[in-house]
Amino acid sequence: MIVAEIKPFVEIKNIIKDCKKVLVLGCGSCVSVCMSGGEKQVELLASAIRMAGKLEGKEIIVGEKTILRQCDPEFVEQIKDEADNYDVILSMACGAGVQGIVKWLNKVSVLPAMNTRFIGMADGQGSWTEVCRACGDCVLADTGGICPVTTCPKGILNGPCGGNKKGKCEVSPDIPCAWVLIYERLKDLGKLDDMKKEVAAKDWSKGLKPGRYSIKEKEEEKVRKD
Amino acid sequence: MSKMTLPPCQAACPIHTDVRGYVNAIARGEVEEAIRIIRQVNPFPSSCGRICTRLCEKACRRAQVDAPVSIRALKRFASDQTKGFKLHERPMHHYDEKIAIIGSGPAGLTAAHDLALFGYAVTVFESQKVLGGMLSEGIPDYRLPKDLVKEEVAAILSLGVEAKTGMSLGKDFTLEDLLKDYHAVFIAVGSQKSLLPKFKGVELSGIATAVEFLKKISRGQITIIGEKVVVIGGGHTAIDAARTCIRLGLKDVTIVYRRTLSEMPAGREEAEAAEKEGIKIMYLTSPVEFSGDGKVQSVRCIKMELGEADTSGRRKPVPLENSEFEIPADTVILAIGYIPDTEPLKESGLQLGKKGTVIVKDETGITNIQGVFAAGDVVSGPQSVIDAIASGRRVAEAIHSHFRKMPSKEVIDYASLETLNNNLVELIKKTERQKMPILPVQERISNFEEVDLGFSKDQAVREAQRCLNCAAGASIAMNCVSCLNCVRICPYGIPSPGKEIVSIDINQCQACGICASECPASAIQLNLESKEGVRAEIENIIDFARQETPEILIIGFYCRYNSPVGPPFDEDEVYWLGKLCSGRINESQLIYPFELGADGVIVSMCGKDECRFRSGNQWMTEHVKRAKRILSETGIGSDRLDIVSEEENFSFFRNRLEAGGMNPLRQGKKVKA
Repeated sequence: MIVAEIKPFVEIKNIIKDCKKVLVLGCGSCVSVCMSGGEKQVELLASAIRMAGKLEGKEIIVGEKTILRQCDPEFVEQIKDEADNYDVILSMACGAGVQGIVKWLNKVSVLPAMNTRFIGMADGQGSWTEVCRACGDCVLADTGGICPVTTCPKGILNGPCGGNKKGKCEVSPDIPCAWVLIYERLKDLGKLDDMKKEVAAKDWSKGLKPGRYSIKEKEEEKVRKD
Repeated sequence: MSKMTLPPCQAACPIHTDVRGYVNAIARGEVEEAIRIIRQVNPFPSSCGRICTRLCEKACRRAQVDAPVSIRALKRFASDQTKGFKLHERPMHHYDEKIAIIGSGPAGLTAAHDLALFGYAVTVFESQKVLGGMLSEGIPDYRLPKDLVKEEVAAILSLGVEAKTGMSLGKDFTLEDLLKDYHAVFIAVGSQKSLLPKFKGVELSGIATAVEFLKKISRGQITIIGEKVVVIGGGHTAIDAARTCIRLGLKDVTIVYRRTLSEMPAGREEAEAAEKEGIKIMYLTSPVEFSGDGKVQSVRCIKMELGEADTSGRRKPVPLENSEFEIPADTVILAIGYIPDTEPLKESGLQLGKKGTVIVKDETGITNIQGVFAAGDVVSGPQSVIDAIASGRRVAEAIHSHFRKMPSKEVIDYASLETLNNNLVELIKKTERQKMPILPVQERISNFEEVDLGFSKDQAVREAQRCLNCAAGASIAMNCVSCLNCVRICPYGIPSPGKEIVSIDINQCQACGICASECPASAIQLNLESKEGVRAEIENIIDFARQETPEILIIGFYCRYNSPVGPPFDEDEVYWLGKLCSGRINESQLIYPFELGADGVIVSMCGKDECRFRSGNQWMTEHVKRAKRILSETGIGSDRLDIVSEEENFSFFRNRLEAGGMNPLRQGKKVKA
């Protein structure tokens, strides 16, 4: 899932400084799961905005709302009428959510309350690690299921490099060497020989931005090729 | 039949009293709320608080951890503390139908109470001079003071119930007479005819039945009964008779019971209290003959042993050969069983059973005669007061349905929660059951003063807080995002990942509330504490505080389990809010007071290892940290919020607050210069 974190409050305060009516809009998907943009955080941010506003002598009307996903037009539609009552929607979704609101509610300004970080997985209560870079050409089959493109700061496809010290990366002692992890994993699987295989050069064009995926277009492309 | 799962106490109670509800109210110090809950279903809280057979306590799951919650004593506390409390005003007569009730025991009067509230004109016929049946005459004052019964009866009469005392069925009126003047008759004459043993000597003088004996005592007709008394039986009435004899000054009182203490219907507590008062109890002993010259002089007994289980599930006593012996006796009191006295109904056409009971269709009490209902001990044979109250309630419903041509109320199959998992039991903190204060033996054996003195407030609150709040814990709404945070933080490991949303087993949840305070989707509700409720509570207390115009307004949160009787310390400017675990105090609750103008918020930390729920302190500390960050970022200032557990720390906090001035969001009130 997508992991995002809330922006420093001073930054949020600054971007909404001219707004009188703010709708703090939570997202009930990824950012709720990573505990940064769900209903609870909406309540706290709204409260903080009200208080900070009052301190500056401003009466800001702050609405609170959470929809299931901000990256789907049907869910965004649910707040269409309510949105008219506000100057701005302060989105607590990932960047996709913010832009979803921008796209489907085109008459209201939308501002981000979050910094979108990465695609990650939970590694304990309240913490997440990036594990996928969405490169478009997955190599996990060749690397024991551990992604070197994401986990190795250099993205080396045939590692390890010479910068590995006691299983840690030379970039930071907090980062485990992806290729040591891959080695250990293959050893556990009894497939150490795979280490000798060369991972072929990746098709980096698949990661061309902006990424796009359409089932219909994909089918048409297949038909064309056949 | 529909099914409903209830906390074990509520499922076990014949009238399904919301035990958890009133116990929790006492735990919060809200005694009036407690009595309100009790009175919804029970017009005899004071009596039941003393003599109920407490099926609730037998079902209480706290017994798996240490000992059941002392529920009966809590009911008594609620009722003693709210004397004069009136739940209902005298209702209007909405309906024309008139109802006669024969018998003013708990079944009859409960039905009268409920029917009066439905809006019927009710007349109760009682053969004795006083109302209340066995409550008034069959239970000695040292266990149930008569004044209390009088008060409960008076409250029922105040609803407009008419009572005709000294009116005996069969002598002063017949069932047919009543059917001419009333649209329905409820027979609730109880089961007071003593069974007599069928052996030699039972006709001798000096042999009395326990109910008659206790009635005479309660009417003040004390008879001199010699020096040596033998009471036969093992029920409450037997012990009541024996303990009454001690109070009349008799020194040599023996109870003869054919089974052992474990089978004794009166229970261990009563038997032990009797023995402490000097009564001798001979277990596994049965009388076989009374002998004497016109007047009883001795009881011939035989020793017994326990054989196979009988139909009641108890092991049947079997006589031991050649074990007969004599006990000298001037008086013998028989308390071996009772049957209804339905002799006066024999000619009425009412269908009667073998043992004099009235035959009814089902729990509605409908008999073979149209408009005639029966319930309570006259139908079931002797049962407990709470059973009688339950049957009175059901008949009142049935009579109302009968007149209003409504279908009878749906019968609900009340299921109880599952038992606690063994590994969970290990994690639950043990707390000792409060002991009922009692009159010392020397101070009680020469009078009829009540023996149980009742809990102090401190005891009651502590005892109420032992309640595990079964099934009042967390429930998950559909907006759960399955983030699994609750799964990861529950101190008992109760939530588990489900197919769509997380599931929290209501049977096992301990209601600490930590998951709810941490849920990022606000998808977890706590049965006994809604989010809106807490916000309203904060609003109310700040409104209240404002009226007192303190120079500095501080809201204090504390854990009620850690500080049961009240806030941890007293300071004029602190307005306290008690919580059932400090882990429930979340960031929103910590910040909201500032939005409303509070100058400071303090949270009292529970002692190390003292958290009832294992990790409440840890989460509270975390929430304070996060809330401080928000206060700092918004410009309110993080110093306005702190963990302050002791008075000494408080002056430091207060000085710092004073130096910082009042909350800039606070309007209209001056702060000390």
